[in-house]
Amino acid sequence: MRTKTKTVTLQLNVHKVTLGTKLLRNRTLILMCMPAIIFFIVFNYIPMPGAYIAFTDFNYNKGIFGSRFVGFKNFEFLFNSGKLWQLTRNTVLYNLAFIFLGNALQVIIALMLNSILSKTFRKVSQTLLFLPYFISAVLVGFMVYALFNYDYGFINGVLKNLGQDPISFYSKAGVWPVIIIVANLWQSTGYGSIVYFAALCGIDQSLIEAARIDGANGAQVIRYILLPSLKSTAIILILFSLGGIMKGNFGLFYNIVGTANANLQPMTDIIELYVYRTLINQFNFPYSTAAGLYQSIFGFIIVNIANAVVRKIDPEYALF
Amino acid sequence: MGLAAAMLLPLAACGGGSTTTTTQATTAATEGDGSAAGTETSGDMTAANVDTSKFVTITMLVLGNKPSNGRMEAALAAENEIYKEKINAELQLQYIEWTDWQTNYQLTLASGDGSIDLVGTATDWLYAWQLVQKGAFLPLDDTMLQAYAPSTYEAVGEDWDLCTLDGSIWFIPEDQYTQWTNHGIYYRGDWAAEAGLEDVSNFEELGEYFQYIVDNKEGVIPWDVSGANNTGGLLGGYLGSNLEITTILGVDPAIFTYNNDDPYTVTSPYMEGDTLVEAAKLFKEWSDAGYWREDVLNYTGDSRDGMYAGTSGADQHHTQTYVTTTRPIMDEKQPGSDLQYFYWGEDNNNVTRDLKTHGAMAVAASSANPERALMLYDLLRNDETLYRLHNYGIEGEDYVVTDDGELDRPEGYDATTDALDTNFWYGRMDEYELTPVSNYDGAAELYEELDSKAHDYALTKFAFDATNVQTEIAALTEVYNQYIPSLAYGKFEDPEAAVAEFRAALTSAGYDTVLAEVQKQLDELKASEG
Amino acid sequence: MKQHDSSMVAIKTISYIFIGLFAIFCLIPFLMMVSGSFSSEEVIITKGLWILPRQFSTEAYKLAFSSPKLLLGSYALTIILTVCGTSIGLFLISMTGYALQRRDFFLRNKISFFIYFTTLFSGGLAPTYLWMTKYLHLKDNYLAVFLPLLMSPWLIFLMKNFIKSIPFEITESGKIDGAGDFRIFVSLILPTLKPALATVGLFLALSYWNEWYNAMLYLSNKSYYPLQYFLYRIINMANYLKQSTAGAQVTVGNLPSNTLKMATAVLATGPIVFLYPFVQKYFISGMTIGAVKG
Repeated sequence: MRTKTKTVTLQLNVHKVTLGTKLLRNRTLILMCMPAIIFFIVFNYIPMPGAYIAFTDFNYNKGIFGSRFVGFKNFEFLFNSGKLWQLTRNTVLYNLAFIFLGNALQVIIALMLNSILSKTFRKVSQTLLFLPYFISAVLVGFMVYALFNYDYGFINGVLKNLGQDPISFYSKAGVWPVIIIVANLWQSTGYGSIVYFAALCGIDQSLIEAARIDGANGAQVIRYILLPSLKSTAIILILFSLGGIMKGNFGLFYNIVGTANANLQPMTDIIELYVYRTLINQFNFPYSTAAGLYQSIFGFIIVNIANAVVRKIDPEYALF
Repeated sequence: MGLAAAMLLPLAACGGGSTTTTTQATTAATEGDGSAAGTETSGDMTAANVDTSKFVTITMLVLGNKPSNGRMEAALAAENEIYKEKINAELQLQYIEWTDWQTNYQLTLASGDGSIDLVGTATDWLYAWQLVQKGAFLPLDDTMLQAYAPSTYEAVGEDWDLCTLDGSIWFIPEDQYTQWTNHGIYYRGDWAAEAGLEDVSNFEELGEYFQYIVDNKEGVIPWDVSGANNTGGLLGGYLGSNLEITTILGVDPAIFTYNNDDPYTVTSPYMEGDTLVEAAKLFKEWSDAGYWREDVLNYTGDSRDGMYAGTSGADQHHTQTYVTTTRPIMDEKQPGSDLQYFYWGEDNNNVTRDLKTHGAMAVAASSANPERALMLYDLLRNDETLYRLHNYGIEGEDYVVTDDGELDRPEGYDATTDALDTNFWYGRMDEYELTPVSNYDGAAELYEELDSKAHDYALTKFAFDATNVQTEIAALTEVYNQYIPSLAYGKFEDPEAAVAEFRAALTSAGYDTVLAEVQKQLDELKASEG
Repeated sequence: MKQHDSSMVAIKTISYIFIGLFAIFCLIPFLMMVSGSFSSEEVIITKGLWILPRQFSTEAYKLAFSSPKLLLGSYALTIILTVCGTSIGLFLISMTGYALQRRDFFLRNKISFFIYFTTLFSGGLAPTYLWMTKYLHLKDNYLAVFLPLLMSPWLIFLMKNFIKSIPFEITESGKIDGAGDFRIFVSLILPTLKPALATVGLFLALSYWNEWYNAMLYLSNKSYYPLQYFLYRIINMANYLKQSTAGAQVTVGNLPSNTLKMATAVLATGPIVFLYPFVQKYFISGMTIGAVKG
């Protein structure tokens, strides 16, 4: 008994000392983090308690914390809609497709660019791949309509010339997930592949030289050196995206499928579109914050699970 | 987290302060000037003995993009000389730009940082009653208005009643200004004549007109509308032209109506009767006949552009647009088109006059100078020189008055780059308005016709409080937005079944609860009006 | 050393073909956008887009350039914001990223989580707006646009990940020489970070260049707006003038709304597209990282 207490005290002492020393020893590193810490306190943490607005009937004159507390009432519009499952499913599935197909394509593009030796070809093609990123969602929607519409659409124009019947894409819900995913990949691949390409550029060339001398061919270099070196980048990217798994890309969906066409909704409705349709005339800050909280908590849980799994496999790759 | 707690306090502390006296006391305190507050509380209030020794800036919130051509500043500078002299104040405009304006308007009012004094509002398109309930405005009363805005107070007269709730007056109505923003559809008179139609004044004739275009005008879509932007299509127009009903404003979604002979009983053609089914069937026929695009619900183009270019046979908007814009432009772009206008309710004489609160001016709850704000507004609204300066600019530079008293523009004036854009839609006066020369010549005749058919909106005072049915309203809005576009553009295979489904969805979304709540509040309104 | 490697030949062939096709797939819509901006509004309405301009017209650009002083001012403002924001932000981000990847820094996970948490939860629109305007008094202040973009958790983590690939021996060699952590970062780490700085800097620059949302919320009484918002306003103005909602008594001809959208997109994209090839050269030079060892 006595000895035990003693050890505890001792450990405590040791601990105290180390914490002090640790802080002292790391003071420069702590100082180096200070601008970021202050930045996130000022622009993110201070307004954060304001999310309390989701539990009030917000009165402009009384302010957020002076308004009446209404409990979970502002969440009812989401939970009692009977659509929550469909919305959650669509949002999550689209994001999973964007994340995994997107990253796979970005890695492939980066590896291909890396194997192209002609500098001019590489530069030009990389710049071209980057162009779609600059086309706003409004114009993407415009172009999708120009391609697929029934009366004057490009594709139906070709079909008509071939003597085929035109297809009414805008009444077939099933084709839209494909169109939306392709549009998303088209827009984001060039931008996203830069990260991977930059990671490839950072690889120690002597490693590759050594492997070559040992007789490794191009495919083996990719398989055993290049791909593994992209692992940590890929994990970071994916973990980051998972936090936003419940947050949809409003601009993309709104401009491609809009909110008026009920035919497409079963396959294309996401939380953001629902909130938009429901609150279009109501300017209800508590409701939209409530929807945001739902998305955040969902993302928080998912990302913690994913991070725990990664940590278990290899702590070095964990996000935090 | 210490900083976070520090934020909690000021946010919590800004509660209260909604009563006139508190705000005025604060005003006086911040100005370090007790006499103003003293004068008011003593009840002896006239503009003359208000202390104007301190120069103040009054900021007016208006909707619209801030102009960048310097004309607005020039006009304000001229105005401010007069304000300075008369009430020792100056006017400044704060614009809520059109990008995401609903959000921005609400945010600016919610922030309550005291930077706004006068707030342009409206009970229909800017949801003034809801803002009253959210505590955005300063409550006014007769004494105050009489003291600081005497001319306006007198002119508005019994219309103050329209702006009163719970014993306070909440805004000043634009009640001395006539405009017609009732909706309808524009069609080409030349094509209607070719089709053998004398004019189009009901949906049957409109159908004939559209069919004529399909049969005879290659490359023209009868009405090349964007269903994505105009989600209700012709549905509201059809209901209003076939039933003697008026939509109740301020209740979302806009499906609740009253019968014109009984304004205090709420009903809804969306739930009751066969008219909705008839409409849905008709629009399905029209859709199948190609009166609009197959993909109308995803088309985002503009039927007005199409009409000007000769590729759309119609365009849908209100009277004012017809008179000031579409008719004059069509005369120029498509000479001989003889653009005509079929307004909803033309046949059954069901036309509602514009609300007297389609424009209104409120004082912000957080205004530091409510007295001076009212005084300034009173001058702006009632002094012809100031009114002209503010609304038309500097004579000779921004506008000229023709010999017969109409508004014209100086040589080389280009409306796209030289416009004044002070956007004062919250207290215009017929008395001081100038008719633009470019207006359609037949305007007066059209107004007369409308006036002979129109009735007043009966429920201007109805300030629906949605607190108890917020969830149901959200659910109804969702159902409405899901079904209405497809019904209005005939996109359901079986319209009759779709209407039944729509009604079942409304019921399960809480239609009866909302209906009962609206009725309850209508009863209360009726009782209070005696 | 370089013997015949059939797998490499195959990979290269596939790469050229695939990248080439993908690049064309990206280029065509962009070309359509550019030529659409030089077409007449009528032809866009009736015939849609094509790779070459039809009924050549500069109407949309005339409208966008109707006040050249404001347009140029917006360019200047955006360039200043982008250059200042990118250089300051890049320094802060890489400094934080370096500290957070140091294995011997015992707070690194806690601070990482502290930063990451902000991507999950936020106060939402109204509380943030109230804080920015009522308490920080940033309404109508360019800082409301400049500051919030300075750092993002995502870029800090990306930077941290890049720095991780730099051998820890560099830091250790610095320590042996008696250099402090900040000295090590500035004189030993930063110079080896070119590809990372190029990537993160590019992303940061793009976020400044494309910024319009905070400008829309916080700037309303300014003469000059960030470019994207300035162009957004022109489009909205055109839409508004046509709708003429509250009965503004002006008569305007039909404004070219479709071509205008495309012209503004071209104006917004033009300069920044040329930034990318410039950044690219740092990707190549970064390849020598391995040699810095020791």
